[in-house]
This record gives sequence, structure tokens and C-alpha cells, in this order.
Amino acid sequence: MFRTTFLSELKYSLRQPLVYIFIVIFVLLEFFPTVSDQVQIGGAIGNYNRNSPFTLTQHLTLLSLLSLVMVITFFNDAALRDYKHQFHEILFSTPLGKAAYFFGRFLGALLIATLPLLGVFVGMIAGTYLNSTFGWLDRSSYGPFTLDMFLNNYLLFILPNMFLAGAIIYALAHKWQSTVISFLGGLMIIATYLISTSLNSDISNESLAGLSDMFGINTYDLATKYFTPIEKNTISPSFSGLLLQNRLIWTSIGGMVLLWSYAQFSFKPNQKRRKGKEERPTRKEAILKPPRIKPAFNRETSWIQFKSFFHMNVVSILKSATFKILFLFCIIILVIDLSNGFENLGLQSYPLTYIILDSIEGKTKLFLIVVAIFFSGELIWRDREAHINEVIDASAHVSLISMLAKVLSLMSIVVIFNLVFILVGCAYQLFNGFTRIELDVYFLDFFYSDLPLFMTFSGITILVQVLSSNKYLAYFIAILILFVFESVLQILDIRSSMLYVINGPFLQYSDMDRFGPGLEATLWFNLYWVLLATLGMLVAGALWNRGSKKSLSERFARAKKEVPMRYRGVIVLTTSLWLLVASIVYYNTQILNTYHSHSTQEELAAAYEKKYGPYKDRGFPKITAIKYAIDIFPAKRNVHVKADIELTNETSAPIDSLHIHSQEGWESKLRIPYAKIVYTDEAYQYSIYELDSPLCPGESKVIHIDNAYITKGFKNDRGNTDICHNGTFFDNSDILPIIGYHDEIELRDDNARRKYGLLPKEGMPKLSASIGKAHMGTYGFKGKSDFIQVETLISTSKDQLAVAPGSLINQWEENDRKYFHYKIDTISLNFYSFLSADYEVARRRWKGVDMEVYYDKKHDVNVEMMLDAIERSLVYYTENFGPYYHQQARIIEFPRYAKFAAAYPGTMPYSEAFGFVMNMEDSTDNNVINWVVAHEISHQWWAHQVMGANMQGAKVLSESFAEYSSLMTIKSITDNPMKMRKYLTYNHDGYLRGRGGERGKELPLYKSENQGYIHYGKGSIILFALQDYIGEERVNAAMKNFLDEYKYKGPPYPSTLDFLRQLETQVPDSLKYLIEDGFKEITLYDNRLEDASYEKLANGQYQVTLEVESFKIKSDSLGHESKVPINDWIDIGFFMDEQEERLYHSERVKFDQDHTSIRVLLDSLPVKAAIDPRHLLIDRVYSDNIKSLHAK
Amino acid sequence: MSTLTIENLSKVYPNGVKALDQVSLTIENGMFGLLGPNGAGKSSLMRTLATLQEADSGTINLDEIDILNQPIEVRKVLGYLPQEFGVYPRITAQQLLTHLAILKGITNKSERKDLVTYLLDKVNLYDKRHTALKGFSGGMKQRIGIAQALIGKPKLIIVDEPTAGLDPGERNRFYNLLADLGSEVIVILSTHIVDDVRELCTQMAIMNHGQILYHGSPQHAINDLTGKIYQKLVGRNQLASYAQDYQIISNKMVGGQPLIHVLSETDPQDGFERAKPDLEDVFFSKINTAGTLV
Repeated sequence: MFRTTFLSELKYSLRQPLVYIFIVIFVLLEFFPTVSDQVQIGGAIGNYNRNSPFTLTQHLTLLSLLSLVMVITFFNDAALRDYKHQFHEILFSTPLGKAAYFFGRFLGALLIATLPLLGVFVGMIAGTYLNSTFGWLDRSSYGPFTLDMFLNNYLLFILPNMFLAGAIIYALAHKWQSTVISFLGGLMIIATYLISTSLNSDISNESLAGLSDMFGINTYDLATKYFTPIEKNTISPSFSGLLLQNRLIWTSIGGMVLLWSYAQFSFKPNQKRRKGKEERPTRKEAILKPPRIKPAFNRETSWIQFKSFFHMNVVSILKSATFKILFLFCIIILVIDLSNGFENLGLQSYPLTYIILDSIEGKTKLFLIVVAIFFSGELIWRDREAHINEVIDASAHVSLISMLAKVLSLMSIVVIFNLVFILVGCAYQLFNGFTRIELDVYFLDFFYSDLPLFMTFSGITILVQVLSSNKYLAYFIAILILFVFESVLQILDIRSSMLYVINGPFLQYSDMDRFGPGLEATLWFNLYWVLLATLGMLVAGALWNRGSKKSLSERFARAKKEVPMRYRGVIVLTTSLWLLVASIVYYNTQILNTYHSHSTQEELAAAYEKKYGPYKDRGFPKITAIKYAIDIFPAKRNVHVKADIELTNETSAPIDSLHIHSQEGWESKLRIPYAKIVYTDEAYQYSIYELDSPLCPGESKVIHIDNAYITKGFKNDRGNTDICHNGTFFDNSDILPIIGYHDEIELRDDNARRKYGLLPKEGMPKLSASIGKAHMGTYGFKGKSDFIQVETLISTSKDQLAVAPGSLINQWEENDRKYFHYKIDTISLNFYSFLSADYEVARRRWKGVDMEVYYDKKHDVNVEMMLDAIERSLVYYTENFGPYYHQQARIIEFPRYAKFAAAYPGTMPYSEAFGFVMNMEDSTDNNVINWVVAHEISHQWWAHQVMGANMQGAKVLSESFAEYSSLMTIKSITDNPMKMRKYLTYNHDGYLRGRGGERGKELPLYKSENQGYIHYGKGSIILFALQDYIGEERVNAAMKNFLDEYKYKGPPYPSTLDFLRQLETQVPDSLKYLIEDGFKEITLYDNRLEDASYEKLANGQYQVTLEVESFKIKSDSLGHESKVPINDWIDIGFFMDEQEERLYHSERVKFDQDHTSIRVLLDSLPVKAAIDPRHLLIDRVYSDNIKSLHAK
Repeated sequence: MSTLTIENLSKVYPNGVKALDQVSLTIENGMFGLLGPNGAGKSSLMRTLATLQEADSGTINLDEIDILNQPIEVRKVLGYLPQEFGVYPRITAQQLLTHLAILKGITNKSERKDLVTYLLDKVNLYDKRHTALKGFSGGMKQRIGIAQALIGKPKLIIVDEPTAGLDPGERNRFYNLLADLGSEVIVILSTHIVDDVRELCTQMAIMNHGQILYHGSPQHAINDLTGKIYQKLVGRNQLASYAQDYQIISNKMVGGQPLIHVLSETDPQDGFERAKPDLEDVFFSKINTAGTLV
């Protein structure tokens, strides 16, 4: 019996074209990523094989989400087919067993549902073999296939995932017998995946995230997060660990769902529950005679009809199950997202209104689009589906009235959704004790973005529904327009926002700058879209299919005959209004403000390199001093910059010409005395000036620059976010013309370079000890300037403060504007920030240094903490590294359009998005403000006093040092050594994840190039461990000696070799291996505590025995690992508590074999034992280093 | 007194079917029965009268209103119950009727309330007025349909197959309702049930293949046939040969044996006896001119 239903299910499905269509789709979806870099699934393929087991599983798991949407049909059909064809009554009267029917159908559908994803295998295999024939891509990036690759993926992902999803959908289908609900169930499953992803963003939740992922996608990512390329190429997902647990958990959940559904299932037809109370017959006042009535048809009638239509529509949407489910679902997602908080380095941000808005936008927009599409169809076809259309159509109302009512009810559904979102947001804020609830921001944001957006959507979807002769066809077209159309535009590299419905508005609310520079453009684009939607509505009203179904051309003919003149007038008026707005938008975004398509940008960059690359090594003068006169006009978002730049020829040959190009977007006037323009290239604003008499070696010349940034109208995108109404922040590289060849313009992506016939971009110059050309410039300035003298006169509007580096030597008001005169106290790098905003200033003085925090008045909460951090840093750094040469240390807030902090001379701009809005109230052990402030302040030494030569390892001397220095300031106020482990965790994780994702080569620390995970992550760990092994004062002494040797000195600049030279004198011979392992090679540990037991001795002491396994691993740059003999000092230690906060009795032990047994006598009994308890060493799996003690 | 004048109305569907073929009718106040077999073009005519469908040629005038060109005007005085009448499932009977009353121009709230109450009572659904319509049986839904067709001050009421799905009691109630109105407005009742027309209508038309085959009063049509209808009980296997020899207009089973009616100017003898013609004979004599057996 079972076999019959199972086989008949298979036969039925295999006769349908659907399953084959799905298979082909997946073959194609996998084929192209296998043989092309242009098509990617979940990101680019790194430096591992294109057909590696890792690639396969990654693609497969992501595609399984897509396949879910497809297979809903199979399960839903298996459950409902007989009901749909009214066959169930016949079928159920046959002697068919319930179990055979129920499970036979399900397993048949399950088997079919796993077929589409097999297309992924086929796609990858086909891609690999075809590539080996045609050689589209390098053949060496393909490896062999193994059977377990396919088998394990099928058994670990495809089958269990389809089983789980299928069980849920099958159960839903049986329970509700509604295709809509089955599809919503599918959606819900995908959303669960999204929630699990958001949990995964915080490290401490990893295991939870790993287990809670229904499809094991995150689980697999976690299991492989530290995989090296070799491992990615060879290891298939395995039946072990977290992944196996996850699979078992979710498969049993699926099983339970299925069994529950089976228990509910019965051949007897569903007894429809009678809803509503039985009306008790009430004695009414009978109206026996027909009442006198006076039908009236006038304007008021239309208004009342409109209200009635609207009411009917809204009521029927609100009462529909689809609405209720989507609504609840949205709220649940939002609440879950909010309750996760807003994490940043383990800290929570305050629930600011704009953060809540981001969350609402991010989590619910997709649902609202689905709502708009779905209910547009419902509203348009409702009368026909209810068979009441003829009555409605034959009643005396104007079609446009009912059409408007439909649009408005669709809109009001969106409004209802949003109001509830806002309510949830406010409730969340209050619940968290946050009272700065900005209702105006909530509502303005809604009026600026969601409301016009959904007006447009409703117009489009309703027009499509009206024009189409079929609801589902219209759904399909609406989906094409709203989702696919924009991707096509992107592929075609068409960037005009006049074509992008969804990605139009460019608002990002900032507490400083409010709705920001994009507001004007947003409002214009809104008007443009809303008018277009109105036009669509009017057309829909005219072509509305009233009465019997008519073809589009019949409806056109009818409209021609019937649409009244007034109506035509409104259409013409709207069209002309729209054309007017469209031309204003076009003028502003295409003519007044231009932009380049991506391909043009690439072409320009490639042509630049070809054309001007030959001048690369030409001698050019250095900037040796600058005087700025800057006027900022915040209200107009304009900036005028005048600068006198002193250029000095520091080469050994005369220089006869200057190559200068101006910045894009700036109107640039250059005055170079005794020189004439001999060449101009408009495309790059590139000019060559010939000097009347060559600039001799050692000779200087001052050139005058008069630049203006004028904001004109609005742009195709948000526009310039550096220059804004409140919170302008730019630096010298944004405003000054570039002198000499600018290699930043060059194309970076090697594939793009190949396309234009350029060789792959060279990496950083190789690390070398012998002084050469690369030593002549730093990595930041490449010899265009060294340490220079700078003075700034800067003005802004009366309500703002303008800040530039240096001491404020004068300030005054003039012409209703504020003027400030700053002068740098000591020669500094040519790296200058200019800011202007309505600031509050908090000041403190420490040993002649003015410590200042410039902040927005809404963000005063962490200001004192910042001042503390500045002071603490200054204390530690001056004591350990040498004097601070500026007379001020400033932190200056800027809007959240960018999220970073940076160090200019004595000045640290710091984004409002982190630090200023972090909730530090109960975070004693993970203080991101102390961390970041200390990092930036330390750059006043590490970068601003000494900067590495432009060669490998250069960033170690600024970033690794800064990160180390920052950790040391925190250590200086931390009484518990275990707290430092929490800080280090982020660096460990950053490094190990970073090396797993490396697309090029992982280099040893001292040769690292632009590899943040090495010079931030690994560098700080190595230095921190080093100070633990050889002593804080010795590491600091090495750094100080290195600094003293090079500070404020021009070329030749130092390299990591110069630092290692200093370091070696501080390290005893017994620990020299630390330098070798940490700096010059890639070294990892694989330490493991296998067993920890204790015995209570007669004297009350405890004899503890530890069984330790320790391996030392060296890795080459591609991740090939090999074990090397161990002969290292590693700590062992004990914890007195479960939380591992109380470290007790730690000692350093020499390990010289793989397995070591250690006996320790302790006075008290600890809870846990650990090898490397403070996590000083880089260990791929740290969690197995710690074990609870047990009695022997 | 209103007059509905239909002249030379024609409509050919895209698939070539002639739904209306030169239809001309003049209808005045009172019940007018439109009789025809399924597919005769009744519903096409009804829908065209109800402004839901275009005609290819011809004119329709309701008094001074040109229905084909002034659909908005005729909708103001129209009550229409289509053949297929459904309801919004999630609202109540009262809500639906109120909505439809508004669409029919009953803008005064208290008038509307009284009217809805009156109509609900008339169709015997007052007790169910707050029940969601999805719980209604087919007959109850049809009664709602009838109630809505009576809303307002219609001059023209079109009811297309109204008694389908009604039990005999409901059917009587419905006809009483219509009869109340009958003298003041034009009521066009389209049906294939001959009894309905006989009981209710003063005027009627018989339609088939888009053409009007008869237009006049039922009694007049019956009178026309007086003395021309003969009937006989025959053997089942003899039917075919009778069909060849006589113009059979209908055959039906009576007591297990076929009873045939033939149309003949003279007595066919051969055991036929004269029958008193009824409307059914009129109907069949008009549509079954080929004398086919059923």
C-alpha cells in the first residue's frame, strides 16, 4: 500500500515539467560561478579551488534556501492535490491505509524535492570538465572530485533540509489546506535562517547560532571558519561535532512535526468550525413598508462611495489570514531583531531612534513589498473572485473612485504596519530606559521614505494588475519590475536613479546632520515617482475592466469613447507635471551633476595608468609647508579653499615641469608663478606646467591654489557626505590638487586589469635591509612630503565651530561668521583634518596639554570617559615611549555616514556611530571607548612621529604598535589579568578568520602588506604575548629606542627590520624563538588539555595531574601546515570559578614533547585547569585548552 | 410608466458565436419573462442591458436614456441580480447590503439603515444580519442577491435565473416580492423554467440562438396553439419512427412511458389525442422546430 502511494507520487511529479525546470535552473546557477568570476554565490571564491568541497557546500547550502521556495509546491501538492480535484472523498472511501497514504505521499515528495539541488552537483562537475577543455579560467584552480563530497553533502544538507522544511510545509498544508499558508510557512523558515544569521554576529553566541540554524548553513561556516585553503580543498563536511548535533536536532524536530501532523490527519473531511456566535433571534421593530428613500448622485455620493469602498477593502484585508500571518511574522522578526540589541565589539549601542529605524527598514521592507504585491492582486481581483463583480460594476459609481479606494487601502495597510513598527520601536526604547524618543524622526522618516515608496509600489502593482488579464501573471510581472529589473539595470551598468524604484531615496538619519545631504534629492525623486504612480493610477482607472472581461485593446477603445474630458484633463495635467519634475530631476542628476558608469570609471582608470604611468618615476618636488585659508558655508554646503603650498626640490636634478591634477567635483584655479600650462587633459583635470626656469635641487617655490566646492542642485545619489549642514569633515587629500602621478587611481582588481591589458598590480615593495628607493618615502605619503609646517585660517557660520589641527592662536567674528586661526606646534605629517559643526566642547588639562572633546549636545554621555581615556593614554605613552609634541589632544565627532576613528596631528575625528552612542553603563571589562581612544592617541607616536618606509611590514610599525599600546593602557587599569583575555579574543578571532578568507598569500607579520587581519589582529597578539614573556618594560624599551632613532626624521624611513634590531637586544637568548615564530614565520599552536584530575592528599593539599597535548605548527603562505618539534614555554593555570575569571596559580612550563604529564601541588581545589589560560598563543581551537577538574 | 426599447441589437463574440442577432423588443412596466434554453443569449442580453457588455450594433433606450452610450445614467435606476451572484466572505449581510446601498446612491444614513433592515426582513435574513457571509448557504446568498437588486428606486430590475438554488418556500416569497414591485417598474426575469413565466409574467419573449422567436403575452401564445397540440403515449422503441412521421415538439416520460407532443394543424389520428396547450408547448414549439428528440 505504502509502495503504491510512494511510487504514484513519484510518477505524478516526474511527469510534471516543474521538477526538470528546477534542476536546469540549479545546473545553470552552479555552472556559471564554477567557470566565471563575474557570477558569484555568497561572495567570491578565495584562494582555494573553484570546485573544492568547501565551495560546493557553501554554494549548496545557500542555494538550498532558494530551492526551498521551489519545493514548497511539491509538498503542498502532495498534501492537497486530492482535495483540489475533489477526489478525496472517492479516494478516502477506498481501503487505503492512513499511514501508507500519509507517509507514502510525503516520502515521494521528499525524494522529488531533493532532485533540484542535485543540479548543483551537475553544474559544478560540468563546469569543471568543460573548463578543463576550454580553459576559460586557470586550470590549476580546480581539483579532483571525491565521492564523499557529493554523498556527505546530500546526506548532511540536502536530505535533512528538505526533510525538515518538507515536514513543516506538509503539516501546514494538511492542517490549513491553503496554498497561501504553505507558502508563508516556507517564508517563515527562511526568516528563521535570517534571525540565526544575526545571532551569529556576536562571538559569544556562536554555539547557539550554530545549533539554531535550521539548515546548518551558519553551522558549517562556524565549523570551517578557521579552515586554511588546503583544508577547504580537501575536507568534505563530516558527520561530527556541532554540525552533526545540529543535523540530528533539526531532523528530529522535523520528525516530530511530521508525527504530530500524522496524528492530526484523518480521512474524515475537516469539520468546518462554525465561527461567530449564533444569533439569538431578537424581536425587531419590523419595517413592513418599504422606507421612503431618495437616491442621490452627486459629489457627496462619490465621497461616501469612496469611503465605503475603502472601508470594505481595509476590513477584508485586515480579516484575511494572509494579512494576519504576515503582520505577526513581521512583528516577531522585528522584536527578535531589536531584542538582540545593537552589538558592536560586544557592546550595545543606545537604542537611538535612527538605529531602531535602521532595524525596521532592514527587517521589514521585504515583507512590505510582498504585502504590496500580494494585496494589489487581491484587491483588484476580489470582486471577480467573490462573483460579486457584476453587481458592483452595474452600480452607479465612477471607476476611478473604486480604484482610488483600492490604492488608498493598500497604502493604509502599509501605514498600519509602520505605525505598529513605530509603536514597537518606542516601546523597545522605553523598555530599555531610553527616553530620547524622537517621534518627529520616526514620522518624518516614514513620510520621506516608506510612504512615497509604497505609494509608488501600489501604483505600479495596481496598474500591472489592472492591465493584466490574469492575477498570477500580474504577480509575476510585478516581481519582475520590483526585483529583477534593478538587477538587470545593474548588469547593464545603468546607474540613473530615475530608473531605480527601490534604491531611489538616500536618507540616513544622523543625530548631527539629521536627514543629511540626500534629503533634497530624495524629495525630488519622491515627487517624480509619486507623480508617475498617480499617472499609472489614472490610466488604470480609465482602463479598468468593468463588466465582462475584455481584451486590452477593447478596453482602450472603450476608454477612448467613455473617459470624460475632465478626466483626460487630469491625465494631461499629471503627465505634464510629471514631465516637468522629470526634467528637473534629469537636469540636476545628469547635466548639472554628472557621474560615471562603472565601466567608464574602469576605462578612465585604465587609460590614466597607460597614459600617465610613464611619468611615475619622474622627479617631482615635495610639499614642505602649507598655509590654508578655508571658508566653510554649511547652509549652502559650499567650501572655498585657498592654499599656499611650498614645493621644494629634494631630488638631485633640476625639475622643469609640474604635473598637477585637480580633485573631481572641485572648481580649481591654480596660480604658479613663472610657469605656463603646456598640456591639459579635461578627463582627469590633468595639467602640465612648464617652469620658466627649472627648480634646482634644494630650491623652493610657492604655488597658490584657489579651490571651490559648490553644491549645485542635487545629485543622482546622496551626494557628498563630507560637506554637510552640520558635521562637515574633510581632509587635505579631499581638497588639494594632486602633484605628480597618483597611483591610487589605478585599477586594483586583477581581472579588470587583465581586461584592459594591464599587468597585475604590484604588491608593496619587498622588505629589504639595504637602503633603497623604497626607504625614501613612507607607506602613507610615498615621498610626496615628509614632516611639514602648517597653518590654517578657517571660517564657518556663526552657529558652528571649525576645527583644524594645531593650537588655536586667534579667533574672532566678522560678517556674521566665525574665524579661527590654528598653527601646528611641531612639524607634522601632511595629513590634515578640517571639521565644522555645532559643537559642545568638554575640556581638561594635563601637563600643558589641552584635552578636548568636541561633541554634539545630544551625545554627552561618554564624554568624560573619553577624556579619561585620553589622559590615561598620554600618561602611559609619555612614560613609556617619549614626549607628546602637540599642545592639544582633541576628539571631534562627525556624522555617522562613515564609521571609523582616525588620527590627524593632535586631532582625532571620531564617528558618532560608535563611541558616542555606545552604552557603557555596565561594561567594566570591555570598554571599547578606552580601546579606540587609546589606539588613536597612540598613533600620535606610531605614525605621526615615526612611519614605516613604503615596503612590506610598514603597517606593523603603526597599526600593530597602536593596537599593542592600546591594550597596554587597558592593562594598566585592569587588576584582573583574565579581563585582557576578552580583549584579545577579538584579535585572535580577527586574525584566524582573516587568514581563512585570504585571497592572496598570508605573509609573516614582519612582511605583511595591506592585510589588516595580520597587522591589527596578529601583530597585537604577538606583541602582547612578548611583553608577557620578556616583560612590559623590555618591549616598551625596544619600541622607545626605535622611536628615538627615527622620530620626526625624514628619509630614509625605517622598516620592521629596524625595529627587530632593537627588539633583539631586549630578548634573552632562551626566548629568541618568539621573534622567529611571531614575526618571521607563520606559527600556530594546537594545545589541548586531555585530562585534568586531582587527588586530595593527607596534608589537605591537592595533587593535580594534567595530561597535555601540544603541537606546534608552521604554515606556509598558502596554508600548507606542518608540525614542527615543540620546545616552548607555555603557561598552565587554574580557575577558581566556572566563568574563568579568577585565575589561580599559573606557572610557565617548558614543553618539549607532544604529550606531557604535569603534576602540581595546590592548596585549594580549583574548578578548571587550562593550558595557556590567558590565551597568549595563537591556537586554532582554543576551547579544548580548558577542562573541569575531576577526582581521580 | 417606463418603456424599454431594444432595436436591432446584435453581438458576435470573438469566437464567432452570435450571442444576439437583431434583437428588437419593447418592454413596459410589469413582469417580463425571457424564456430560452441554456445558451440562447439570455444572459448576453441581460448583461448588455445591465451595462456590463458592449453590443456590436443596435440601440437600447430606457425612456430617454441611451443605455449603450449613457451607462452611468442607467446604472442609477438599475437593479441587477446576475446569474452568478457571490458575496465577500469576511463581512456580514448587513455590511454588504449597506455598502451596495451606498453604491446605489442611498446617501442618507438613516434611510439606508431602514432600507437595509426592511430588505433583510423581506428576504427573511434579519436574524442573520450580523453573521459573516461565508457561513451562508447557497439559498441564503441568493436571497441577499435578491435584496440587493431591490435597493434604491430602480426603474429597471433585471433578474437572471433568480430561483436557482431556492427551495419552494423561498421561491414563492421571492415571487411575491417581485409581484409587489411589478406594476411600478420594468422587471425582466430571465429563466428557463416555464412555470415561472406562466405564474408571474404578463409579457414574455422566447429566445434561442440569439434571436427572439416570440414576443407577446403568455396567454396569447397559448391561445395560438389551441387545437394544434396532440399527445400520445408511445413505446420506447417506436420513438424514432414517430419522430420521422410527425413534428414532435417534446417527449417526456410519464409513468415510465414516453409521452410525445406533436404540433399539427390537423388531427394526426393514429391514436393521438388532443391536448390542452400550455406554456411548455409554446416554448418547445418555438425552439424545437427541427423536431429533435431529447
